[in-house]
Amino acid sequence: MRIVIADDTVLLREGVAGLLEDAGHTVVARVGDAEALVSVVAEHEPDLAIVDVRMPPTYEDEGMRAAAEIRRRHPETAVLVLSQHVESNHAVELVGSGGGFGYLLKDRILDVDEFLEAAERVSSGGSALDPEVVKQLLVPQAGDATLDQLTPREREVLGLMAEGRTNAGIAKHLWLTERTVETHVSAILGKLDVSGADGHRRVLAVLAYLRSAA
Amino acid sequence: MRGLRIAAWAVAIATYLFITLGALGVADAFTEVPVAYVPLIIVAFLMPATVGLVIAIHQPRNRIAWILLLGALGPTLQLPLAVLLGRGWALQLDRALWPILYAWPVAVAFVFPNGKLLSPRWRWIVLGAAASFGGFIAVALFDPAAFYGDDAAVRNPMEGNAVAGVFGGAYAWLSLPLLLGMLGSLVAGAVAIRIRLRRSVGIERLQTMWLAWSAALVPLTLLLCISSGLLGLALGITIAEWIVFPLLMLIDIAVAASVGIAVGRYRLYAIERLVNRTLVYAVLTALLVSAFAGLTIGLGVLVGGGSEWITAVTTLVVAVAFLPLRRRIQDMVDRRFSRARYNGVRRVRTFEDEVREGRRAPEEIGAVLAEALGDPSADLRFWLPATEAFAAASGDLADLPDDTRARTAIGRDGARTAVLLHDSSLLHRRDLLNGVLSAATLSIEMARLRVELRLQLAEVEASRARIVEAGYEERRRLERDLHDGAQQRLVSLGVQVRRLQRGLPRGAAVLSPALDRVVEEIGGAIGDLRQIAAGVRPARLDDGLSAALVDLARSAPIPVDVEVPNERVQASVEAAAYFVACEALTNAVRYASASRVSMRAVRENGTLLVSITDDGIGGAVVRRGSGLAGLQDRVAAHGGTLAVSSPRGRGTRVEVAIPCAS
Repeated sequence: MRIVIADDTVLLREGVAGLLEDAGHTVVARVGDAEALVSVVAEHEPDLAIVDVRMPPTYEDEGMRAAAEIRRRHPETAVLVLSQHVESNHAVELVGSGGGFGYLLKDRILDVDEFLEAAERVSSGGSALDPEVVKQLLVPQAGDATLDQLTPREREVLGLMAEGRTNAGIAKHLWLTERTVETHVSAILGKLDVSGADGHRRVLAVLAYLRSAA
Repeated sequence: MRGLRIAAWAVAIATYLFITLGALGVADAFTEVPVAYVPLIIVAFLMPATVGLVIAIHQPRNRIAWILLLGALGPTLQLPLAVLLGRGWALQLDRALWPILYAWPVAVAFVFPNGKLLSPRWRWIVLGAAASFGGFIAVALFDPAAFYGDDAAVRNPMEGNAVAGVFGGAYAWLSLPLLLGMLGSLVAGAVAIRIRLRRSVGIERLQTMWLAWSAALVPLTLLLCISSGLLGLALGITIAEWIVFPLLMLIDIAVAASVGIAVGRYRLYAIERLVNRTLVYAVLTALLVSAFAGLTIGLGVLVGGGSEWITAVTTLVVAVAFLPLRRRIQDMVDRRFSRARYNGVRRVRTFEDEVREGRRAPEEIGAVLAEALGDPSADLRFWLPATEAFAAASGDLADLPDDTRARTAIGRDGARTAVLLHDSSLLHRRDLLNGVLSAATLSIEMARLRVELRLQLAEVEASRARIVEAGYEERRRLERDLHDGAQQRLVSLGVQVRRLQRGLPRGAAVLSPALDRVVEEIGGAIGDLRQIAAGVRPARLDDGLSAALVDLARSAPIPVDVEVPNERVQASVEAAAYFVACEALTNAVRYASASRVSMRAVRENGTLLVSITDDGIGGAVVRRGSGLAGLQDRVAAHGGTLAVSSPRGRGTRVEVAIPCAS
């Protein structure tokens, strides 16, 4: 996998690059700001861009805007946005707008295997949404009792689905068999009245549901 | 210019010379006048000549100077002519030239004080006046009538001249319309002075007042002339001509003196006092004379015939009545004729009543003073000792303007409270200025205190808002530092530990669980940091109040409805509203056992209104030191309000209104 990394903290950028290279990926460019990021993406057309939300010059949401621009101009390049704190609105919007997009809190990197898995999932057209964001989405909202109908286990599975995980991923995470997971998934989709979608479309359907409920 | 000056000297010297000739008796001129009046006559000619000369030396082109010079010279010409042509001509000229004594004061009245006519139309009036006076003098010169009285023996040099011969017996009637024209000119002069008095302000008005004062002697002359005539008739004494002539001289002296004062501007401002005194003594004289005459006639009729004791009694009565009468008249004149002061003080009193009744604000005292003093340019500036600056009633701090206006300090016990800027002419109407200002002292002090208080309050409010704003900026910086500084370093540290862990040689794999714990600790530290940063300032406020409240609602353990428009206002106002919502939500969850919360925000007329309502147990109060009390201060610092309504058992509603620019 060919990757570019954009982060203004050099130590962190190099650390993440090291982790990715250790895992056998190629880091083709490392940059410190959003402008440079957009130009190296145009130059290298990588499989994945890992982007820090806050970067110079204003340290606000340059990374997020650059990410949106990359998705628009280079659909073949997936983007994984890393954030210092949870911003559920933007994140859900971007993740829900199509595959090849991920949004994680920065400290998820420390769970290296999960991080690498998410990176690979995103670059292959899947999605990744930070569990913290998903947790906020799963808070029962006024006027909707549907989520209350789910069993605790089903809600756990729904959260992992929203994070963008595949059935296999969910099964591994929950120490269940894939068959059991499949049973839960179809029960959940039935209760939420979301038609039997598959793959990334399933994530979209779940997010769309959760967002409309929110 | 030089030539004009020389001419002025020549005219003045000629006048002095001719007067001296007359005084020395070289010319037998002062025929009809008692010797006692000679000094008066000399002054009556010297005065206009000298005043005219002095003005002409400084301003050779000044018309008024030349009117005075020529007016003084004109009648004196009869003296050298009398010497040269003999007694017959002396008598004829004496009969012809006297209108000049009236003519030049009328001319002064037309052009005083700026040397210009009131309007071009006045040219015709001037021409009419000139024709009347000139015509009268000409007709008198050719008058063939014989002299009378002691001079009946002297032959008129114009006797039987051809010009008069043409008119025959009608000649004597020719002067009548011209005399009426002269009277009309006197009236026109009075009208001109009146119009100028009404139109002029400041110095010019004072100058005109001087002239008006001396011109007022003309009707007074006529009045006294008539009354003395009547008195003469009653007592059988002919005193009319004894009074008229010196009065005419006095008019000339007074007009010349007034012109001198008005042009020289020396004691210009004493006119009000002069008018006041003149009125007092004129009225006093009139009353005493009528009392004297009435008593004399009355007692004469009762007792019969003139006797010495009647005169003694009336004199005694008049003398006793003098002092109390004078005081009475002075009071009356003050009340009726120091009207400006009387009205000014009354206006201030009325204003104070209105302030007491709450119909006017004390700060309006400046405008009231301008009205009371009759000076639209008057401007009151309050002195603020704390800031050592002057302020207008509006509260604007401003230096005193550097213009021609005079400044009068107002204050008690040596402490300055205010300064009044006003037209400099008021400086010399001390009675008006001091009277009105001392009446207004309390109002001025009250207004000053209010202005000072308002300014200080505004300053305190502004500084509180600045402090809150600075505090907000500080929180924002702190939040950035936590996220972008400490947190980044912790993550980076964790990543390095992970790389180390993954690069461990096989033999060292025992270390791996320990490193896992290290990373776990780092993760915990990052979580703590994130919590702290969110408490300092939620990063989502970068995207606006709406985004931040939606996030807040999402992280809440109970359903929260958010209806907040997606518009931006100042960041610090958004933060204040956010923290109120946050606190209200926390209270709803923690203490009110609420099952639902709704947050609404709306912007109306430049005010951000936010309400947070829950369905909890209610009964909440804002206690000192509680979270909401702190937020109440914070909202107040933005000029806003925070209200809590929490009836027991019926939920709690927190409402915030904060002014916002956009």
